[in-house]
Amino acid sequence: MRKIWHQLFLMERPSIGLAFFRIFVALGVGAHLIPAFFHLPDTFFVTAFKTYNTQFFPIWFIEWVQQSPDGLVLVLVWVFLISWMMFLLGWFTQISGWVMMGCCYYFYALNTFALAESLAWDILLVTLFLMICTPYPGDYFSIDCLRRQDQMAYRRQRPFFIQRLLQMQIGFVYFYTALYKVTAEGNWITDNPIYYLLNYPHEGVTKYFMLRDFMAARPEWCYALGIFIVVMEMAMIFLLFIPRTRVSGIYWGVIFHIMLMLTLDVPAIFFFVFPPQLLLFINPEHIAGWIDQKRHFYERLPDSMTYRLVYDGRCHFCRQSVARLAVMDLLGRLRFIDYHGVQDPQALHPLLTTQKVRSQIHLLDPQGRLNGGFFAFRRLGLILPMMMPWLPVLYFPGMGVVGPVVYQWVAKNRYIWHRHQVCRDNMCFYGKGS
Amino acid sequence: MFSHKKILRSIPDMVWGHLRKAGITIFVILWCGLFHYVSLRHFYLEPLMGRPLPQPKFLFPPAGWIMFFHVGNGFSHLEILGMHQGRSYRIEPHAILPTRYLGFDNVHRGVLGSAADPQHQRPFCRYLRRKFPEYDDFLITAVSYPPVREPLTDRRWAVLYQCRVFDP
Repeated sequence: MRKIWHQLFLMERPSIGLAFFRIFVALGVGAHLIPAFFHLPDTFFVTAFKTYNTQFFPIWFIEWVQQSPDGLVLVLVWVFLISWMMFLLGWFTQISGWVMMGCCYYFYALNTFALAESLAWDILLVTLFLMICTPYPGDYFSIDCLRRQDQMAYRRQRPFFIQRLLQMQIGFVYFYTALYKVTAEGNWITDNPIYYLLNYPHEGVTKYFMLRDFMAARPEWCYALGIFIVVMEMAMIFLLFIPRTRVSGIYWGVIFHIMLMLTLDVPAIFFFVFPPQLLLFINPEHIAGWIDQKRHFYERLPDSMTYRLVYDGRCHFCRQSVARLAVMDLLGRLRFIDYHGVQDPQALHPLLTTQKVRSQIHLLDPQGRLNGGFFAFRRLGLILPMMMPWLPVLYFPGMGVVGPVVYQWVAKNRYIWHRHQVCRDNMCFYGKGS
Repeated sequence: MFSHKKILRSIPDMVWGHLRKAGITIFVILWCGLFHYVSLRHFYLEPLMGRPLPQPKFLFPPAGWIMFFHVGNGFSHLEILGMHQGRSYRIEPHAILPTRYLGFDNVHRGVLGSAADPQHQRPFCRYLRRKFPEYDDFLITAVSYPPVREPLTDRRWAVLYQCRVFDP
């Protein structure tokens, strides 16, 4: 018994899955709350139409929150936005998560109506609570892991209980949802809910999709589909927890949520949070093992078949940046070359000169192409998973002009970023402090 | 003199390990207990016990995970009419609820239905007056569609309330 308990909750496993999930929880929270900030007089200011969830909050708490002047609401909007961005980026992940969750509670108590009186918001808060109980979600895909400069951050071992509870949460949410549909006040056995949904008028919750009219005319098919959905929802917890059927369960779940999004006006959580939560069923040891395999593969390749980043190893700022890039390099595709250790840079590439490598970083790709400065940085966006979210910015129209200017300014002034005066004069490696 | 960090460091790792495991175990048991209690409370435990049971505040949906658990035959929604010089004009619901969400439409989710609740009528009228000052008055009407299989054109309108009654 003790062994099973240990295996279920206490055993340490890599937290990379939780770290990945953190991004989607943040996106789900943002998608739910941020749109309401564009219409503050209609959503959260004194002038808004408000309703309160007295079952979720005690009355005293609602009354206390209602005393907020509009100025405080505005301040908390900014507190939320900053903490949300920090949580998304994984910067002081746990603290920013607590602050963000505090703001979520505040706005929920301030006006339930503005949050669409939604059960989805309740579910999101439950998920968020588990995500901020520990600092584990900040272990990777985060600024926190870059600050620690731990190249093995993706393998960081943590007790598995948070991920297990999140797995159990989604599994049982499916199960109870199905249970309510067939018992309690549910009518999915005794009636034909899908048929009703499809025949609702335009003002209803059902979207217009390709097969809507076809299905709406076939009540028997609708009933069969309804029963199928209930059976699948009940079976999901077994499909997900039995290793042999796990992958099928994940596929079913993802398809189910995509279908929900396409056919019904359901809140963003069904898109942002549930499908990625299903991915938590993938054993993180397998993910880390797959990453290790890739790293070993790239490690064995000869230099000429890898991406090589040529940098200034005597510049503290550059070394720090390279250390961070090494953390971001999940699959180990980069090799870092300090140009001070290279006698003739032209041996690396005919176009490389000492003057060039001193002025900016250069990236040599396996095809022998050379990218320098901003363009090297932009190319890294295609190679390093943690930089991929920045691709829309790096490739935004006009960045080919603005990017190099900004890069050149940073490159020219990189010694400014040194903490010590000696280093600012670029003397770190010559003085006794070296 | 020992600082608290030194004291903490002096506790053997094994003791820390046991404390951490005990902490996690207690948390998991409490969480699971609460999760299933909340999931079963409203529809199963309360009828079983024949009395209302306490609802934990601040976490978990109060009625459980009730997504689309009961879908009725027939449909109704609110329509808001603005009155000006004795004539009524339908107000587009998206103008009343201007917030646009990614991937879904709250008006279609029927959130405007909250305005039908007697305790929300006065604040809703106040909100409408501020938002649409060009109207003299507002009529809050319920539009009911007939049960499925009957023509959708057989809609029935009913005035729920008129904002003028709340005027000082």
